[in-house]
Amino acid sequence: MTDAKRPQGNKLSEAEAIERAKQGDAEAFEVLYNLHKRRVYSLCLRMTGNTASAEDLTQEAFLQLFRKIGTFRGESAFSTWLHRMSVNVVLMQLRKKGLPVVPIDETTDGDEEGTIRKEPGAPDERLAGSIDRLQLQRAVDELPPGYRTIFVLHDVEGYEHNEIAELVGCSIGNSKSQLHKARIKLRELLRASRTEKAGRR
Amino acid sequence: MNGKTRGGDVGMNCLQFENALPDYLEGSRTAEQQAHLSVCSACSNLLADLDFISSQAAELRELEDPSPRVWNALEVQLRREGLIRGPVPAIRHSWLLHWRSAWLVPVAAALLIAAGIKLFHPSRVGDTQPIAKQAALKAPAPQPAVSAEDREILKHVASRPPAQVAAYRNDLDQANAFIRDAQDAVRNDPNDIYSQQMLINAYEQKQMLYHLAVDQSNDEQ
Repeated sequence: MTDAKRPQGNKLSEAEAIERAKQGDAEAFEVLYNLHKRRVYSLCLRMTGNTASAEDLTQEAFLQLFRKIGTFRGESAFSTWLHRMSVNVVLMQLRKKGLPVVPIDETTDGDEEGTIRKEPGAPDERLAGSIDRLQLQRAVDELPPGYRTIFVLHDVEGYEHNEIAELVGCSIGNSKSQLHKARIKLRELLRASRTEKAGRR
Repeated sequence: MNGKTRGGDVGMNCLQFENALPDYLEGSRTAEQQAHLSVCSACSNLLADLDFISSQAAELRELEDPSPRVWNALEVQLRREGLIRGPVPAIRHSWLLHWRSAWLVPVAAALLIAAGIKLFHPSRVGDTQPIAKQAALKAPAPQPAVSAEDREILKHVASRPPAQVAAYRNDLDQANAFIRDAQDAVRNDPNDIYSQQMLINAYEQKQMLYHLAVDQSNDEQ
């Protein structure tokens, strides 16, 4: 284990903390939590778009992790294991709430004119240069849950389509086409927000 | 251009291009698609926008810290489940010790009130939900106004830069929220030593904030 996994101010490395957490050592749990809390919380926040839910889900993800820590044998990286568990916790929560994990198809299917004609605003004006990170974040938060899940997992978190298919329980082709629709939807939202902003000036 | 089959003369129209776009973006590109793009500004704009969105998505990977309440609640739950087997930690900062006595009164009062409530309204047995969720399940408590003592302490930091005042105010709000969570937990189970410890920790957190405000205020004078 490298020092990169040894947080500042903590005496334990990640590997040492894992072994000691298996024995019920309080400090070890806290070290592991501090090492990974930001990544897990940020993932939950991006997938839910809600601070209170993200906090509850972060707690739940770590709780599940610590309950199973005795079974961790180190075949995969600890962070990968935890990250996957966190995604599953969020997906389970979405399912519990009756929200779609895989996007429910909207009007883009079967539209003979495609998506371009629905775009609000000037057709020849590109988004680049007129959209900042905050606007993009707001647009992602506005995405319907199913689209947001696929977009966050692929474009933000860097999961491959085969991994997403396994996580959310859909086919690889479905993951690809839904990601495409999520991006199209985001484009619509961003163009609408830009038009609205221009209208206020 | 809008709504028409743009670029239709070169063999592929916009709808066909769009349908093939997911594959195009994955790297599977044909000469026909390239030809369509070279004559259709709407499709090339669409492509540029989707590329832009995808590339900007990495910017959203910025990491944020969860509230300290998450760990506090998690630790209580881990102890309840017996996953953490060590003793409940004592106060971590020795300089807090001389402040502690001042806080024993509100903590003791909260514990007594909770015990009283428990006596008359026994809660369900075997409720093992995480503390934050238990609190969330309750009817939302009305957001308390800033207390007189909080107002007093905020006066000590009022002369600092606005960003620092805002950060301090935020910390104070979080400490107050932690106290409310801990009070809920104690009310739920007054005999649970972890909930009691959580309440003590919550008051200590607030006490530390007070201490920082007064200390720095004295330094400035």
